[in-house]
Amino acid sequence: MNFWEKLGKLDRRLVYSMVAVTVIIPLFVPLNLPIDITPEARELYNSVEALPDSSVVLLTFDYYASTVAETEPMSIAVLNQLFRKNMKVITMTTIPLGGPTIAQNVMKMMAAKYGKKYGIDYVNLGYKANYTAVLKGMGVSIASIYPTDQNGTPLSQLPLMQHVKNYGDISYIFVVADNAILDYWISIVNAQYQIPIGAGTTAVMAPKYYSYVQSGQMTGLLGGMKGAAEYELLVHAKGKAVLGMNSQSMVHLLIIAFVILGNVALFTSRRKVHANV
Amino acid sequence: MPMFNWTIIGTWVAGFFTLSLFSFLYKDNPFYRFAEHVFAGLSAGYYIGLIYHSVILAQLVQPIEEHWAAAATGPDVGHHIMKVAFLLFAGFMGVLMFARFFPKVSWISRYPLAFVMGNTAGIELMSRLHGMVLPQMRATFVDLNASFGNVVLNLIILVGVLTTLIYFYFSKEHKGVLGVTARVGIWFIMIAFGAHFGYTVMARVSLLIGQVNFIFIDWLKIIS
Repeated sequence: MNFWEKLGKLDRRLVYSMVAVTVIIPLFVPLNLPIDITPEARELYNSVEALPDSSVVLLTFDYYASTVAETEPMSIAVLNQLFRKNMKVITMTTIPLGGPTIAQNVMKMMAAKYGKKYGIDYVNLGYKANYTAVLKGMGVSIASIYPTDQNGTPLSQLPLMQHVKNYGDISYIFVVADNAILDYWISIVNAQYQIPIGAGTTAVMAPKYYSYVQSGQMTGLLGGMKGAAEYELLVHAKGKAVLGMNSQSMVHLLIIAFVILGNVALFTSRRKVHANV
Repeated sequence: MPMFNWTIIGTWVAGFFTLSLFSFLYKDNPFYRFAEHVFAGLSAGYYIGLIYHSVILAQLVQPIEEHWAAAATGPDVGHHIMKVAFLLFAGFMGVLMFARFFPKVSWISRYPLAFVMGNTAGIELMSRLHGMVLPQMRATFVDLNASFGNVVLNLIILVGVLTTLIYFYFSKEHKGVLGVTARVGIWFIMIAFGAHFGYTVMARVSLLIGQVNFIFIDWLKIIS
């Protein structure tokens, strides 16, 4: 058995171990690899930056706990930008499993960082079932869909919500999602109410949504951990995404090496089979 | 009485379950099985509790109580009574869905299902056409006043859309001009698959990085 045949029969656990080591080492020894900013991320940043101070922005936490590695850094990065510009932030989620808790924890952390007051600077509407009805209904009246906020306080008792009745009072919607709910934000809210939308999605979803940036239906897009890292750099608040990109780049190099070696091993073994026939 | 720090306990429990699930990469074992079953059970329980509170109570029982009380005390009695009637009708339709568990009357569940299907189809049809198909089609129009580079890029998009659509045209055998065009469409589809695969690799590696971050930063606090 030659080298290529042995490679073809490599124990998969050895491959897993190599991936694990490649992920862990850059966390301890930061490589500070460069991260370039894509035009879609820069356009997203610029569109939020162009909003007047104190504008009302709706930020959604439409993601499950399983994808926080990609999505949570996006929420944190954009909140850095929004709170620095003294924007009024309304948050909500259409995801039952994890969404409400993540939104609560992130908002609490970021509000404490910037000294923002609940009810005046930001409001967390929480979770509501049946996203199609929620998205359509909020165009008529937010209070009819969310009579109370996440804590059960009637919206009429929250100063921020005195001036926000429906989408017409919202300047921008920033969707952070790990599922097809973004389709509905585009097709229902952007198309029917003409509210500008920007989004951060998981990497799996990103290729689909670039076409919506090209068509002008979204102002910009963040794709996966790379997109989150780009936004952290744009808002000058490096976080877990920038830290993780070192590991990401190294693992990609490893996978490229695996793909090349695997293909060479396959072709070599095929040639041997043909030679023996 | 000792004070428990629930955050620390929760982090250790999460750490234990993370390692238990990772242990499957070596081979199937009782720790993995335990973690898998706990996750399934917890998710089911969480969903039941959440739906009960956020749908049955918040969107049915409480609004009925509020409108009923408003009808008894305030103006707009007709409006509030109508709201109660709508909510009761919706709740009744929801209950009918459970008829499918009883074979003799399972046909009744088709009525609420038909209502949901008709409603969804109406909303989807208009929103998809208005918000997806037309704007995406409009985006394929080539702007001849743009810079040379952008005109070339727009032409690539146009060719990609047309050839891909032709690849999915199955009413005529893919031969001759149609065959060549469909073959070009396959190239565009393959490039799209490659982009999707690359992004999927990044997504899966990100999830691993997230859990490794959790282990070393949040749990063991080895990295600040």
